[in-house]
Amino acid sequence: MLTNTTILGQIVVNGLNLSAVYILVALGFTLLFGIMRVVNFAHGEFAMLGGFAFYYLYAVLHVPWLLAVVLGAVAVAGPSLILEWLVFRWFYHKMFQSMIGLLGLSLVMTYTSLLVWDVFERNVPSAFDSILRFQGVIIPMDRLVTIGVSLAALGAFYFLMVHTKIGLAMRAAAQDVEIALTQGIDARKIYRWSFFVAVFLAALAGALYGQIYAVSPFMGERPLFVAFIVVILGGMGSIPGAALGGIILGFTESLLGTLYGGSVASYASFGIVILLLIFRPWGLLGTRE
Amino acid sequence: MTVKTLDSTGVTMSGASPKPKRATIVAVLLAAALLAWPFVANERFVFHIAINVCLAAIAAASLHLIIRTGHVSLCHAAFIGIGAYTSAYVVMQLGLPFIAGLALGTFAAALLALLIGPVILRLTGKYFVLITFLFGEIVRMVFVDWQAVTGGANGITDIPAPAPIFAEPRNFYWLTLLAAALCIGFCGRLLQSELGRTIDSIREDEQLAECSGVPVIRIKVMIFVIACGLAGFVGSLQAHYTHYISPQAYSPIESLNYVIMNVIGGMNTLVGPLIGALFLVLTPEFLRGYVQVQQILFGLILIIVMAFLPGGIADLRSALRTLLGPKRRDAER
Repeated sequence: MLTNTTILGQIVVNGLNLSAVYILVALGFTLLFGIMRVVNFAHGEFAMLGGFAFYYLYAVLHVPWLLAVVLGAVAVAGPSLILEWLVFRWFYHKMFQSMIGLLGLSLVMTYTSLLVWDVFERNVPSAFDSILRFQGVIIPMDRLVTIGVSLAALGAFYFLMVHTKIGLAMRAAAQDVEIALTQGIDARKIYRWSFFVAVFLAALAGALYGQIYAVSPFMGERPLFVAFIVVILGGMGSIPGAALGGIILGFTESLLGTLYGGSVASYASFGIVILLLIFRPWGLLGTRE
Repeated sequence: MTVKTLDSTGVTMSGASPKPKRATIVAVLLAAALLAWPFVANERFVFHIAINVCLAAIAAASLHLIIRTGHVSLCHAAFIGIGAYTSAYVVMQLGLPFIAGLALGTFAAALLALLIGPVILRLTGKYFVLITFLFGEIVRMVFVDWQAVTGGANGITDIPAPAPIFAEPRNFYWLTLLAAALCIGFCGRLLQSELGRTIDSIREDEQLAECSGVPVIRIKVMIFVIACGLAGFVGSLQAHYTHYISPQAYSPIESLNYVIMNVIGGMNTLVGPLIGALFLVLTPEFLRGYVQVQQILFGLILIIVMAFLPGGIADLRSALRTLLGPKRRDAER
């Protein structure tokens, strides 16, 4: 079956699509761990809020698709800075407390959303109905756009990290926060920026998730799960690791899902993660602790 | 002024008979109250709550043993489930008496812990949490898929009570009270012994303990096996009380409840999980009909406890003292 170029092409496109969204979710997660040493159990909930923001902007207010996605993400990331001030800053550099405390935050966010909106899933109308045919491979346009948006976001993130002063400061803080402070870097500013970027990426991913699946208060579980697996694969705190992990997970799921069905893909990802945790818990590109 | 010295049993050197310590009086009164109140409040629902508190207390206390070694396990509910399914199978399919079910349930859970312990206990901190989460999820999936033995997603119904006399909730309460006293007493004794101090040393600095000659991994595995065996014990009791078990009750999310009991109640002492169990069983009952509010409240408490009260409710007194202390000193000047 693998020799059939159509199926192969399909697997590649799906793999790219999944990888792109997974990397978006995982990047924010690993950024928060790498710089502030918090395990953000509420990461999925920020994705969920991004999904709801996108839904309201696009499906209800009929804002153009691309603007809805980006504006939605900003609309979630901005006010989330209040949450950063209220909740997150008490947990910086305290890994265990952050795990349980942010788990509490995820409960608060999920069930408050449940009170505000009801439990019924909302479907986002498809923005792009057209299909691209390339050498016999069928590429739905919305997949292509998802890949495009994700790549653009990742490109912007890369530019931020490598070519701006604030990105340099963030990388320095991720490597060694104390030395970074002695170099005059304002820790609070870096933390707030990192938080904003992380939540922006999560909310963006949530909007893309919402497009593919449906938007509901409980939709955050899957992105969180994915983020965990990708970050374990790549190494917690490692940004290239998140990219590598996302690609591996995305393509593995696409390959196994197409050839053997969804449940095999799930078992396989579980198995890989368990093996990795036993033999190489710091991931492929992480630092041994 | 004569100086009275006391040795460790509280006996004054002058040889006078010791006054009963306040703690002992409280303990005796508490025990009497726990035994006697069913005669006063003969209500089925109250017994139900009390039984659940006792069962949760045993589970939380056994998890506390693992937490004392420095590992937070998210697969505790999975081991409870193993005890439950084993006991149900043994009693219903093999026709053995309840005691056999209880023993085999405990043994099965302990055996599985012995098999995976040496592998997963080598991991630290967040990695241990993750791998126990995954393991718990796998066990739950096995419960769902192994239909021949576990009845699949439908679970097992009509599990018989331990003996006809225990079909009555009041009598079952006394049974669980006895079980709780034995198990929690065992945990307490263990934590106060030399082994308990060794466990604390492992938690505080594993490498230093290893250098001091403590066989770290062996002790961790031993505690893990004991704790998971106790979890199996609870599972069996629970199964024969609720008469129905299903895979949903043994997911990692349920394990999280036991972790929350420890966290909110206090992870540093055995009293913590007991307080936590009481809190976590009673709160939903007061908030019946307001599930969302209940979860929001839990979440808020988790955040506040983790941010400001790392020792849990059990540590409330000393936490308040730290908060108010320095101000008092200023006022005295």
